Amino acid sequence: MTTQFKVLERNYPRVDAYEKVTGRATYASDVYLPGMLACKLLPSTRSHARIVRLDTSKAASHPGVRCVVTGTDFPDFRFGSGALRDRYVMPREVVNFVGEPIAAVAADDEAAAQEAIELIEVEYEDLPAVVNPLSAIGSGAATVHPELENYEGYGFTLGHNVSTLLDADRGDVDQAFRDADVVVEDVYRSQGINQGFLEPMACVADVEPNGRLVIYASTQGPYQIRAALASVLEIPVSRIRVVAMELGGGFGAKLRLAFEAFPALLAMKTGRPVKLVNTREEVFTMNGPRLPVTNYIRSGVMQDGTIVAREAYTIFDVGAYLGAGPNSGIGHGIGAYRVPNFRLRSYGVYTNKIYVGSYRASGVADMTFAVESHMDRIAHELGIDPYDLRVKNALREGDVSVSGAVVPTNGLMNTLEAIREKIDWPRDLEDGHGVGLALCEWRSGSGPSTAAISVNDDGTVSLLTGSVDISGSDTSLAAIAAEALGIPMENVVVSKRDTDQAPYTGQSGGSRIVYSQGTAVQRAAENTVEKLTALAAERLGLPEDALGCEDGRIYVMDNEPQGLTFAQLAAASITSRGGPIIGTASLSSMPYTPVFAAQAAEVKVDRATGQVKVLRYIQAQDVGTAINPMAVEGQLDGGVVQGIGRALTEDQQFDPETGAVRNPSFASYLMPLAIDLPELENVLINVPAPDGPFGARAVAEPPGFGPPAAIANAVYDAVGVRIKELPLSGERVLAALNGQNAEIDFDVDALRRAEGVAAD
Amino acid sequence: MKQPLNLNINGENRLMLVEPYYSLLDCLRDDAQLTGAKKGCDEGDCGACTVLMDGKPVTSCLVLAHSAHDSAITTIEGLADVDGLSPVQKAFVEHGGLQCGFCIPGLIMSATGFLQENPNPTEEDVRFAIGGNLCRCTGYARVVEAVMAAAQEIRETS
Repeated sequence: MTTQFKVLERNYPRVDAYEKVTGRATYASDVYLPGMLACKLLPSTRSHARIVRLDTSKAASHPGVRCVVTGTDFPDFRFGSGALRDRYVMPREVVNFVGEPIAAVAADDEAAAQEAIELIEVEYEDLPAVVNPLSAIGSGAATVHPELENYEGYGFTLGHNVSTLLDADRGDVDQAFRDADVVVEDVYRSQGINQGFLEPMACVADVEPNGRLVIYASTQGPYQIRAALASVLEIPVSRIRVVAMELGGGFGAKLRLAFEAFPALLAMKTGRPVKLVNTREEVFTMNGPRLPVTNYIRSGVMQDGTIVAREAYTIFDVGAYLGAGPNSGIGHGIGAYRVPNFRLRSYGVYTNKIYVGSYRASGVADMTFAVESHMDRIAHELGIDPYDLRVKNALREGDVSVSGAVVPTNGLMNTLEAIREKIDWPRDLEDGHGVGLALCEWRSGSGPSTAAISVNDDGTVSLLTGSVDISGSDTSLAAIAAEALGIPMENVVVSKRDTDQAPYTGQSGGSRIVYSQGTAVQRAAENTVEKLTALAAERLGLPEDALGCEDGRIYVMDNEPQGLTFAQLAAASITSRGGPIIGTASLSSMPYTPVFAAQAAEVKVDRATGQVKVLRYIQAQDVGTAINPMAVEGQLDGGVVQGIGRALTEDQQFDPETGAVRNPSFASYLMPLAIDLPELENVLINVPAPDGPFGARAVAEPPGFGPPAAIANAVYDAVGVRIKELPLSGERVLAALNGQNAEIDFDVDALRRAEGVAAD
Repeated sequence: MKQPLNLNINGENRLMLVEPYYSLLDCLRDDAQLTGAKKGCDEGDCGACTVLMDGKPVTSCLVLAHSAHDSAITTIEGLADVDGLSPVQKAFVEHGGLQCGFCIPGLIMSATGFLQENPNPTEEDVRFAIGGNLCRCTGYARVVEAVMAAAQEIRETS
């Protein structure tokens, strides 16, 4: 590959690769401190109940037990994942889902702690519970949060048990539907999904001799953990230090406070370090997954395929608490298309099941499944090629996105063309074989980003950021710094982060680190070069604009051999007026930069069993400048395989009566294995982003959006059945082949009536 | 009550006092202070705890520590020596076969044990060999590529 860059667009091993392949990388569960106690949790066995009696006396006197805490040991304070504060860190009176932790024990070892947990006596008074969100929204259903209207951060919404209602409107939707030649209407349902990170939630809490709390955490957001802990424990932020350990996968599940408050309070009460490592069953039953989503979607279309109107009503089940908002649903109801008139609604509905958490652009994969399946339905309804329909309606530069931002230059069309070429569309295949397409869109994430670069004595630099590495971002940030400073990759040392040392930074999530944090790093590097140049100018007695920066030195442009290396300048800085060189940069928002990806699946359907086998999976994504192509492809591979799991096998199931998680293990929640997968084919489209470091775009999220729709569309192409519910299990496909493909029940008119929109 | 247990771990004889109910994984992590093997599920489903027991890959969470008495155990910490990384470790680094890294010690041990048995595998052989190791980050593509590259390296140097 020819490149204008000296460092970027080349493959580099991860900066943490050696630690990881030798087993030396230290995750939170690898922290062992002298005198450390083990923490275990008692889960609620009821979906909705008042705690009448909670007797911990036998547990407290069990040998080896040092401390037991329950909800009332914590300050009487409700916290939330966003503005709405709907949740106690541990319930004080009422439990809202099966699995909700109601007591925590610290003991000398795990066995003693678990024995003590089993000695805790609980008496419940059951309250009416509701599990199905489509019932919960009706006025006759049981109420999950009777005091909801009094919660801090609650905004007016329509419907019963509704935590949030988000809306987006444009144009005259009803008129546009009346003018349309054809109206296509569908309901789609996507399943509960576990994030499937391999490292269970883990935390060690310790109290320093001066009383300060130290948390060794498995987290995507050390500063967010610090702020939330300060709130729920009612201690100042400055009395808490969070050390972000190596993160063994998070995918959104570790963005916010999880169970850190339990070992923290136990450590404060005992003065001993306390370690909590969840079992895999606890990961499945206590920590928020994605919950099922039901999507009603209707389009008004002209005979030539032009989409003129879109209506979408989405019910996001949020479980017992709003652990993550349904925000993403809104922006993606029109997909990557020009739709002049739309009415989009996202309801977040409480039910008595485990609270909803974040997972890789929460909600967007659900919306993409609906929108991209629906696009194929429109194409077949009109007799238009699904590829051509997408090209006809796809967003172009200068169009206005859902949020009102103007779409800047992008590679959407290039991704579609690349896919068409790779899969040789349109294909005429033998019976039982099919191909399907999906178009995915996301945006490069924004948020608080900071970086500091200090120049070491030998001319290398140390890069300090507060962002946790979840995707190889430390390596990419080092590459950005190296490129901007004109030094080799190996001359950048990436420091590990800790809230006492690193500058404040937002969470690592939503594909924002390379784009936003990378921009901060680029600017910090530029700031470093400015300071080096100023010092060189002073020493050389020349104006700054006479100097250039290349290959780790500041040189005189008229006389290149004359100059000072970074090492010489670092030495000189010690005795200079300005002092040691440190470059910094901060930012909190970045311009709208979309990311588009086109994908294609080729499948084979076994008519006897309904089994779907993916034979080929191709994705083309506009990644802008590929900072480290090997890492970019790693992100594409990993994301698309998560999407294939979502399409075919992964299914977090809930008991319809109690809402309890039915399959809390890797043996029953089926994530893809190496043997399940085809070879993955990636095409990188490189249309530089107008903003972002050296033209890089976000990468990680879109790959996972497409597979459910691409595979469902391929199944339709193969055997002529349209599956509108995930996953596309053999059982479900076989039922459809046998004509037992039930439409999903959804009373959209009730939702329209509630806001005074005329029902059709 | 803790009972004596003799293990040869990474070439070193260790006599330890270990709880009778401890798994080999707990013994390695809690008693031998070797935290390279990971507890991803403790149910034998994820493979993150894979170590070699007398040369064969085992999920150490499913092996009772005392049933491994007098066995030779190789953990991820035992692969690299002063001369550097093992061929499998090196291939994972060079081919980008790792991301968050939590599953990697198990994957590398599965691959190491497998390549000792079959140094000339097809890609499908490799996929089956690591079929008991869950990885959520990589999609396995670069992991498989790394194991194939390691196999070639081992063949060329042996």
